[in-house]
Amino acid sequence: MSYDVGVVNYGMAGNTHSVIKALEKAGAKVKLLNDPESFSTVPRIILPGVGSYKEGMEELHDDGFIEAIRNYDGLVLGICVGMQVLSYLGYEHGLTKGLNLISGEVKKIECSGKVPHMGFNRLEMIGESPLLEGIENELFYFMHSYELINYTDILALTEYANHKFVSAVSTGNYMGVQFHPEKSREAGIQLFKNFIKMEKVG
Amino acid sequence: MTRIIAKLDVKPPQVVKPVHFEGLRKIGLPNDVALKYYAQGADEIFYIDIVASLYRREILYKEIEAACQDIFVPFAVGGGVRQLDDFSKLFHSGADKVVINSYALQDDPTIIDAAAARFGSQSVVVNIEAKKWSNWWECYSDCGRIQSKKSVLEWVKEVEERGAGEIILQSVDTDGRRRGFDLELISEVNQMVNIPVVAASGAGKPEDVLSVIKEANPSGVAISSLLHYDITTVLDLKKYLQDNGVEVAL
Repeated sequence: MSYDVGVVNYGMAGNTHSVIKALEKAGAKVKLLNDPESFSTVPRIILPGVGSYKEGMEELHDDGFIEAIRNYDGLVLGICVGMQVLSYLGYEHGLTKGLNLISGEVKKIECSGKVPHMGFNRLEMIGESPLLEGIENELFYFMHSYELINYTDILALTEYANHKFVSAVSTGNYMGVQFHPEKSREAGIQLFKNFIKMEKVG
Repeated sequence: MTRIIAKLDVKPPQVVKPVHFEGLRKIGLPNDVALKYYAQGADEIFYIDIVASLYRREILYKEIEAACQDIFVPFAVGGGVRQLDDFSKLFHSGADKVVINSYALQDDPTIIDAAAARFGSQSVVVNIEAKKWSNWWECYSDCGRIQSKKSVLEWVKEVEERGAGEIILQSVDTDGRRRGFDLELISEVNQMVNIPVVAASGAGKPEDVLSVIKEANPSGVAISSLLHYDITTVLDLKKYLQDNGVEVAL
């Protein structure tokens, strides 16, 4: 059986269940990636995210996934903390080095509104990617206290309490979204449909 | 955008409606009820097992996994959560956030710190059941059955400092009565903390939801009777709120 996408199953962190259900709804053949060896069997991977940057990295390390992700040759989509750990450095519960696959670092949101930023919100498109094709004007669900500070790979921004932050990034085969497609109704399902149609570059 | 959340009080296998935290009316099976409100446009679903903690029984993971089938908005689950492993198992059963009350309030508040460090604040929701006395509010647990002597205004500050990401604020006095929210309580708590506060307990008509948003400005409003008794639908309520100047996800 050939799979469309693998979901990295890293220990305690991650709402893996929700992501798999939404991918299946999008028509994807999904493989749960329980060990580094299984990465070679899928053309795309998703790094889901519920958890903190530090715990996320520790779990990835303990499960032997760090090198597997760094060396992975296909498309990578990070969701929420899964996007954040693709960066160089996280500030949540102490400094933690990330996977360093996209530039930038992850810091606590500083704004006049309540934090965590929680709820549906819009995107302001900065770049272009097939990932968000047809859903640029839809609402997506956010739940986060930290944001990715990135200046070079921004795909979309989102405004919350008069504060703009990076809500989607894309560089080469790496992409990430701060929001949760698996919790964003039909728009999120469409994002997954877009992702499983994408092919790696280079 | 103000979130409109459908809250399901569950006494497995049924969604029930506690009336003033006493009598129970059966509403339907959790997944049927959740799907109905999801289709109507609910921004989130809260699933609270209202007897798990009281009976000191295990969390019923299979029921939870069944309840959240085909729900593609956040599904927050609470009731009987006592340890970090419960959080983990709940996430793997389909929860996106975990709601805690009794154990943190009555036994060990440091579970909030530990859960926030491990899973991130955004997935740790503290449920508060406030009981109004002459000049203060007291925290209760187990559906308004057990006192704590703790002041709500002090407890909300404490849970924020410990790393909770959100508060769902219920009122023992107004819950199930359908006579409006405890506006003063919600307003005071909302000003006290810098984390999102979800107002619950008391909506009997759409106007009650509008008034709590206008007067207390919570991040979200949790409703159940309004929907269970078909007084309105989530969609109609959101349209009504939008017509009255409230920004909602439509």
